[in-house]
Amino acid sequence: MTEALLHVANLEASYGEVKVLHGIDFTVRKGDISVVLGANGAGKTTTLRAICGQVQTTGSITFAGAEISGESTADIVRRGIAHVPQGRGTFPELSVTDNLEAGAFVRRDDEVAADIDKWLDVFPVLASRRDQLAGSLSGGEQQMLAVARAMMSRPDLLLLDEPSLGLAPIIIEDLFERLSAINRTDGMTMLIVEQNANLALAVASHAYVLEAGTIAISGEPEDLSGDEAIRRAYLGY
Amino acid sequence: MFLFAVSIDTDPELLLARILDGFRFGSGYGALALALVMIYKATGVLNFAQGELALLGIYIAWALGVGWGWPIFLAILVSMIATAGLAAGIERTVIRPFDPSNHLPLVIVTLGLFLAINSFVAVTWNTDLKALPSMFPPGDVFSVGVAHLSWSGLGIFLSALAMLGAVNLLLAKTKVGLAFRAVSSNLESAELVGIRVGPTLQFGWALAAAIGTLAGALLVPELNVLDPNVMLSTLVFAFAGAALGGLDSPKGAIIGGILVGLIRSVVVQSVSFIPSELSVGAAVFVILLVLLVRPSGLYGSSKVVRV
Amino acid sequence: MRPRLIAEGSSTHRWIQGGNWTLTIVVMIAIPFLVAIPLKPTLFGNSYTIGISNVNEAIAWAVAVLGLNILTGFNGQLSLGNSFFVGTGAYLTGVFVQTYHWSYLSTLIVVIPVCLAIGLIVGIPALRIQGLYLALVTFGLAAVFPSIAKLEQLDRFTHGSNGLSITSKLLPPSWMPIQGTLDLINKIPIIGDWTGTDHFSKRQAEGIYAYFLLVMIAGACFLLAYNLIRSRPGRALIAIRDNEIGAEVAGINLSLYKAGAFGVAALLSGVAGTMLSIDKNFVSPDDLGVNFAIFLVVGLIVGGSANLKGSLIGGFAVIFVRQWASQTNEVPLLGWGLSGPYGQMVLGVLLIGLMFVMPGGIAFGMQRLRQRVYRVVPAGPPEGRTDD
Repeated sequence: MTEALLHVANLEASYGEVKVLHGIDFTVRKGDISVVLGANGAGKTTTLRAICGQVQTTGSITFAGAEISGESTADIVRRGIAHVPQGRGTFPELSVTDNLEAGAFVRRDDEVAADIDKWLDVFPVLASRRDQLAGSLSGGEQQMLAVARAMMSRPDLLLLDEPSLGLAPIIIEDLFERLSAINRTDGMTMLIVEQNANLALAVASHAYVLEAGTIAISGEPEDLSGDEAIRRAYLGY
Repeated sequence: MFLFAVSIDTDPELLLARILDGFRFGSGYGALALALVMIYKATGVLNFAQGELALLGIYIAWALGVGWGWPIFLAILVSMIATAGLAAGIERTVIRPFDPSNHLPLVIVTLGLFLAINSFVAVTWNTDLKALPSMFPPGDVFSVGVAHLSWSGLGIFLSALAMLGAVNLLLAKTKVGLAFRAVSSNLESAELVGIRVGPTLQFGWALAAAIGTLAGALLVPELNVLDPNVMLSTLVFAFAGAALGGLDSPKGAIIGGILVGLIRSVVVQSVSFIPSELSVGAAVFVILLVLLVRPSGLYGSSKVVRV
Repeated sequence: MRPRLIAEGSSTHRWIQGGNWTLTIVVMIAIPFLVAIPLKPTLFGNSYTIGISNVNEAIAWAVAVLGLNILTGFNGQLSLGNSFFVGTGAYLTGVFVQTYHWSYLSTLIVVIPVCLAIGLIVGIPALRIQGLYLALVTFGLAAVFPSIAKLEQLDRFTHGSNGLSITSKLLPPSWMPIQGTLDLINKIPIIGDWTGTDHFSKRQAEGIYAYFLLVMIAGACFLLAYNLIRSRPGRALIAIRDNEIGAEVAGINLSLYKAGAFGVAALLSGVAGTMLSIDKNFVSPDDLGVNFAIFLVVGLIVGGSANLKGSLIGGFAVIFVRQWASQTNEVPLLGWGLSGPYGQMVLGVLLIGLMFVMPGGIAFGMQRLRQRVYRVVPAGPPEGRTDD
C-alpha cells in the first residue's frame, strides 16, 4: 500500500445557499489514477473546484501531509496541484507556446524552455502549431494543450475535469492512452472526473462513484465494472 | 444666419498644418486611449475615471514643477509614480471586492471616482486657470508657410510610440506581462496556473494610471490651459480613439487616437458646415459609428460582446 | 425583536395607509410655507440654508432621476447621457418663454413631443449597442450637449456660454390662498414659528406657486411611471432587463420596448428640464454636461434603482448633499475647514460607499428598516387559522 497523496475528509461545498457536496471522503494514492464517476449534477466538478480552493468548503483536504483547505488557488497550485478544467480552459488569445509558458508560471527554475520542447515532443500536433493562437486549435488539440499546460507546472497531482467532453471517440481513446502513458513514465498521480465510465475505468487504479453529492460506491475498477447491478445503476452501460 | 454652403478648404499648406496638428493632439489622445485599453483588456471595464486620474497626476506635476520649482521631467515622473500608487490602492479597496464579471457596479464605482477625484482637484488647487510647462524645447523642427512641426509635436508623437513599444515589450517579454495577458484571456484558467489575479489587475490599474498621467502631461501644455475640466473632452476623444482601435488592442489605441486627432483637426476644420465647436460631437459620432458598424474596431479581437 | 405582522386589508393596515397619505399631503402643503423664507439652521458652527428654491430644484431632479430609472433601473440600459434630454427640455422652455413669450407651462406642448422624438431616435442605435458600449455612447452624448448649446448659429436663442436668462415671472393666480394658508399655519404652535413672517413678499409667493406647480407636474410624472411599471409594457421592460433573450423568445418586441424606454425616459427628462427652467429662470450650458448626467446616476443609485420612491429620494439627496457640503466650512472633530465645490466629492464617495453597504439604495434600506417594525402580510383564510 503506497502512501496517500491527497486525502479528503468530510468535505462539504456549497454555492451560496445550495449545498452540492454533503460530506465526502476519499483518498488518492501516490502514483495512482483515481477516477470519480457520476452523472450530471452529482458534484464531480465541484469536488475538483473544492480541492483547488475555488468554492467555499468545510471539512478537511490534506495534500502531501499538509492541510490545504482555505488556501487561495494560487497557493494550492504552488503546492503542486495542476487542474485541467472542464472545457479545456486554454488561453485562446495566447499562442501555444505562451500557453505552455503560462502553465509554468509558478516555477522559478531555468528549465521551462526545455520542458516546453519536451511536451511539444509528447504532443506532436501541438509542435506543428506552436505559434498559432490556442483559440484556433480544434477541440482535441486544445485538450492536449490543456494537459500539456498543466504538466508544465511539474505538479505532483493532476486533476482532470471530464477530459473526454465534446471530443470524437477516436480522439478520446488517444487522449486516455497518452494520460495512461504519462502516468506510467512520469509516475504522475491523477484524479480524473468522468462521465465516460468505460474508458476511465480502463485506465484507473481506483474508482469512486459520486451520486447527489455523496460517495455511493468505491472500489477497484474491476469490481465496479464487473458488478452487473452497479454497472446498470451508476455507470450506464 | 444658417449659411451651410458646403465648401472644403484645399490649400495644401493649411492642410499640412492641420495634419501635423492632428498628429500632435491625436498622439496624446492615443496615449490616454492606451491607458483605457489596458484596463479594458484586463477587466472588461471602461474606466470613466481614467481622465480624472490623469488630471490629478497633472496637478501633482504642476504643484511639483511650478509650485516647488522641480525640473518638469522629474515632476511628471514623480506624479506618474504617485498616480500609479493611488490607482493600485483604488483597485485594492473599491474595485477588487466586486464581482469582475458584473460590469455595472464597477462602472458606477468609476463614476464615483470621477466625481470624487475631479472635485478633490478643484478643492485642493482651486479652479483658476493654470499652465503646465512643456517637457520639450520651444520652437519648430521645420516650417512651411503656416504649417510647422514643433518640437513638442514631434515629442508627443515619439512619446506615444515609445509608450506603445514599452507596453508591447512588457506584455510580450516579461512574466507580469504574461500574467496580464493570461488574466485578460481567461480569468479562471489564470488562477489555475497559479497567477495571483488580484495583484495582476492591480498592476494593470497602476500602469494605466501612469500612462494616463503621462498622456495628460504631454497634452495639456499643447492645450494652453489647465483647469479641472481639461481632461473631460480629452477623455471623450480618447474613448473614440480606443473604440476605433478596437478597445482591447494597444496598437489600435495609438492608431485610433491619431485618427481621431486627424478627424478633429483635418475633417472638422476643413469642412465648412461642421462648426468647430462640434469637434467633441465628431468624436462621439466616431464612437457611435464604430460600435454600430464594426464593434471590434480596426485591431480589436472579435469577442466583443462582453456585456 | 420580531416585526409585528399586519394582514393586508385589515383595519390596522388601512389606518397605516390612510395615515401615511394624510401625513404626506399635510407635509407637502406645509413645506413651501415653512421654507419660503429660507431656514438657516446652524450645526457645528456651520450655517446651512434650506430654501424653497432648493426644494423646487430637488423636485425637478426627482423627475429627471425618474426618467433615468425607467431606462436604467427598470429596463437595464445604462445611460450616462440623460442630461442631454434634460438640457433639451430646459433650453426649449427657456427659448420659447424668453424669445416667443409663451407661458412656462405651455412650452410642455413642445418639450414633450420633441424630447420623446429625440429619445426614440437615440433609442434606435441603442438596440445594437448594449451594456458598457451604450454607457460609452451616451457618455459622449452628455459631453457634446454643452457645445451644441454654445453653437454660434444658435447664439440668438441660447446666448452661448453666458447662459439663457428668462426674465418672465411666474405669477401666482389670485385665487390661490397663499395668505390664508400662511395664517392657518402660523396659528399652529411651534411649527408656526418656522414660517418667520405674517406676510410673504411677491418673490416668496412666486416660489410657493412654483412649488405647487412643480409638485403637480412631478405628481403627474410619477403617476405615469407608476402606471407604466404596473402595466403590461412595464413588465416587458423588466423582463428585458432580467433576461433579454428570454424576453425575446417570450414574444416581447425588443426594438419597440427598448426604444420606447428611451423615449419615455427622454420625455420625463425633458419635462424635468422644463421644471428646472421654471425654478431657476436660467439655463447654463456648462451645468448640463457630463457632471449632470453622472449626478443623475448618483441619484438613481443612492435613492434606489428600480424603485419609484427611490427616484424622489435620489433627487433630494443629490441637491441637498451638494448644497450642504458646499456650506460645511468646518468639519467637527477634524477641525479643518473644507471650502469649495467638494459636494461632488461627498456624492462620489457616497456613491461608492453605497455600492458596498446598500446596493439597493436608500429606498430599499428604509423598506427593510420598516419591515423590522411591522410587516404587511396577505390576509389569512377567514377561519382565522394561524401558521406561526
